[in-house]
Amino acid sequence: MVDAARHPKVEILAYSEVLRVDGYIGNFRVEVMQKPRYVIAENCTGDGECADACPIEVPNEFEMGLAPRKAIDVPHGQAVPLIYAIDMDHCIECYQCVTACGHRDAIDFTQEPELLELEVGSIIVATGFDSFDPTVIPEYGYGPYPNVITAMELERLDNSAGPTIGRLIRPSDGREPKSMAIVQCVGSRDQRFNEYCSGFCCMYAIKNAILLKQMIPDMEITIFYMDIRTPSKGYEEFYNRAREMGIRFIHGRPSQITEDPVTRNLFVEAEDQELGEVLEFEVEMVALSTAAIPRADTEQVASSLTLSRSPSGFFMEYHPKLRPVDSPTDGVFLAGAAQGPKDIPASVAQGSAAAARAARVLSSDTWEIEPIIAKVDEAVCVSAQGTRCGLCVGACPYGAISCVTGEAAQITSAKCHGCGGCVAECPHSAITQDHFTDAQVVAQLSELLRDKPEEKVLAFMCHWCSYGGADMAGTSHFEYPAVSRGIRVMCSARMDSDFVLEAYRRGAGMVLVSGCHPQDCHYITGQQIAAKRFERLHRQLERLGISPERFRVEWISAAEGEKYARVITEMNETLDSIPREQILAENREARATIERRLQRWKNSPQMIELMADLEPETSAEQEVPAS
Amino acid sequence: MIRSGAFDNSFVNEVMAEPGGEHLLDCWSCGTCAATCLVRRFDPAFNPRLILRKAGLGLREAVLASREIWQCSACDACYPRCPKEIHISEVMQAIKNIAIREGYEPPGPFASVDEGLCSGCAVCTRACPYEALARGPVMVNGDERTIAQVDKTLCMHCGVCVAACPSGAMSLEEFNDQEILTRMGAGGWLEQPGYLQGAADAPRILAFVCQWSIRSDAEWAALEAMESESLHLVNLPCSGRVDPAMILLALSQGADGVLVAGCNEGECHYKRGTYLGRGKVALLDTVLGQMSAHPGRVRFVELGALTRSALPALIDRMSQEIVTAATAAAVSAPEGA
Repeated sequence: MVDAARHPKVEILAYSEVLRVDGYIGNFRVEVMQKPRYVIAENCTGDGECADACPIEVPNEFEMGLAPRKAIDVPHGQAVPLIYAIDMDHCIECYQCVTACGHRDAIDFTQEPELLELEVGSIIVATGFDSFDPTVIPEYGYGPYPNVITAMELERLDNSAGPTIGRLIRPSDGREPKSMAIVQCVGSRDQRFNEYCSGFCCMYAIKNAILLKQMIPDMEITIFYMDIRTPSKGYEEFYNRAREMGIRFIHGRPSQITEDPVTRNLFVEAEDQELGEVLEFEVEMVALSTAAIPRADTEQVASSLTLSRSPSGFFMEYHPKLRPVDSPTDGVFLAGAAQGPKDIPASVAQGSAAAARAARVLSSDTWEIEPIIAKVDEAVCVSAQGTRCGLCVGACPYGAISCVTGEAAQITSAKCHGCGGCVAECPHSAITQDHFTDAQVVAQLSELLRDKPEEKVLAFMCHWCSYGGADMAGTSHFEYPAVSRGIRVMCSARMDSDFVLEAYRRGAGMVLVSGCHPQDCHYITGQQIAAKRFERLHRQLERLGISPERFRVEWISAAEGEKYARVITEMNETLDSIPREQILAENREARATIERRLQRWKNSPQMIELMADLEPETSAEQEVPAS
Repeated sequence: MIRSGAFDNSFVNEVMAEPGGEHLLDCWSCGTCAATCLVRRFDPAFNPRLILRKAGLGLREAVLASREIWQCSACDACYPRCPKEIHISEVMQAIKNIAIREGYEPPGPFASVDEGLCSGCAVCTRACPYEALARGPVMVNGDERTIAQVDKTLCMHCGVCVAACPSGAMSLEEFNDQEILTRMGAGGWLEQPGYLQGAADAPRILAFVCQWSIRSDAEWAALEAMESESLHLVNLPCSGRVDPAMILLALSQGADGVLVAGCNEGECHYKRGTYLGRGKVALLDTVLGQMSAHPGRVRFVELGALTRSALPALIDRMSQEIVTAATAAAVSAPEGA
């Protein structure tokens, strides 16, 4: 951190908040509010005479509330930059700090928040994590029992720079404990709170245990665990060392911790799985290894940078294997525990990777984007003709579209990822997606349904998940009836309701719409846009007289080949259970209504031929009810 | 040694197809349930984790023939603590259902009905927390009578019915009226005169303690060591087993106060035993008040699963309050006269 502060090309804006982020890769505009320190940075020497003079003491957040800090202070001894700041929530404005500062004249009570506008090429999000609050687990007694502490508090108590200068004491009486229990997986690997494993707690618990054992050799230390996870280089050796030192490991998750009201000692009850017997340990102190959880402001950061979050709540990377430090927004990268719990080596590695990825952006004059982006036909866009619309804006997961009534919608090409959500949402065919135009999809559709369409299952698949699932079904040799005909688009958001209707108009027996599971969507919220759209379509099909069982929506991941095969098999069974005549009759009856709706395609030059193909038959059908 | 041939997957599927058994395979054997469960205090062999483990491996015979599957009282102390959110009592019920279908029988003990004494009034059928009692026709001495019958697959031997029965027709092994009365009077404790009769230095308190409300063996041992002239302990299967007649008997003899200790509402081992026990004591307190007896002579206390060694202080407080009330009565009595 000190090196970073001294680097001529690094500027640190500490005590600042990002308010707004606009723009796109290579051209971000970031609005930052620098909060007032009430201390002039250039004049502050970091000596701390002001803090010595300050009469106000409040709990020190860095020391987990175990020690006091002053109303004018630095966050901690190694803070960079080492500039004092006044906490106005607690300052009584006695001005003793002003006197103490003397000729340095660094204190300025008139400072105001300062707004900065930065132009940057790329952004790295490294906002870290929060620690799980164990008060929500009443059976562990954190809160009511003073001698139950969290691992972070233990970390401060056994740190030589901590409030006790590295002397471990019991909060209840200030005595040095002779026994300690460390409880693993508090709030993690627990369906009630967080399903995931925090990953690094095993190692820090072992580290703390070894540290304590070295400090107080006759201390009895017991670690209660469900599984010890020490998979990285050198970690297992460290674990072995702890066992050799006499640190006791109990394979069993404690059911509860109770306190002796007189001695304030704690009783930890757990089943030792090796013995198959329940143990009751009396210890003088308990430390809870709490889960790493996403920071409380993760959602706020995610929405200002259009990032997505994994089911666990941490920021989601673009691809878990191939692009682990990229975010879904080009030019924004992820580093450290903000992306998921990780230890120091992994955080450092990811930080370096993110810096290298960011440098790649900064050192390029041009940037290659996917060739499948969406484009607006300004002549067709109704917004340009003064109609309030903006449906496309709501369908873009990347905030790449802006739409002002009176002007055609604008798509920022560098922000578009080509999911096609806006294309499917536009009711006027004003947006097209290169390589996935309506005409291209309909052309495939008409070929696939050329022979005996009523015996076919037409499957729309997204590129990233369900198409992969279908592929997996094939490579895994899962058998399913040869009735499915697939059309691949980039995202389920690209699947236009009209494609489904067109399939029925062309006589399809069954239609499947498939995409990623909500948390796996490659385009942040593309799946959600599709899910909402097809929720509505169910009702429309009902009005058209199409049996509801002839249309199905399924979310299939790239690993679920078995599910794809099962869905197609089930759909084929459903198809077989409906009489052919009924399918033909339903399609015939719905055709006129569908055709009225699909009129918009006739205006598109690429579509004329495709739609004209069926024109004679169509008009004949329309004449029947008339005559 | 268990050979792999013993693993019967059809049993796993059968349990998981049974309502409540769906989450059988979610268990990763952390032991939280085993350490929470109180049944093991009375039967060290009982271990819910091992039952789930054996069932998950498909050890059909070992699971269905075990006595442990019948011992879970569905108190659900383990359920809110399970990190996999497995409703263990429901999995147990699913296994029990299969066992019942296959003709296995629970080992007991059970509540039993004295057919000659039962009047068929149905008070017990309403009191039972497990709906294990129902009335039905039975031939008694040549007559067909409608009397209570115990469903052995449902009875958890809490003793609530024994306390509820107005005819003395219900009984429970170890905890029938006669045995409890014998323990109350053990060592002639009840016959000695009390503090309110001016014959003892301190109030003499009889405490009925629910056997589940004290968690650890060490705590029990400490309590038993406190037994003296002024404290006598009688353990009950449940605070709902307490019979007001027993309390009145104790008060009419040498006890100055009777304390009934049960589990916290919501932590009762027998679903609503605490609720029933607390209700009985509250009603008795009111009646005693109307009869102008010294107030505070009967009391119900709840002990939480997370509080340790709370009972001695509660007994102490009761004792002091009896002294205070008696002193106040002694001061006001001459004025009244």
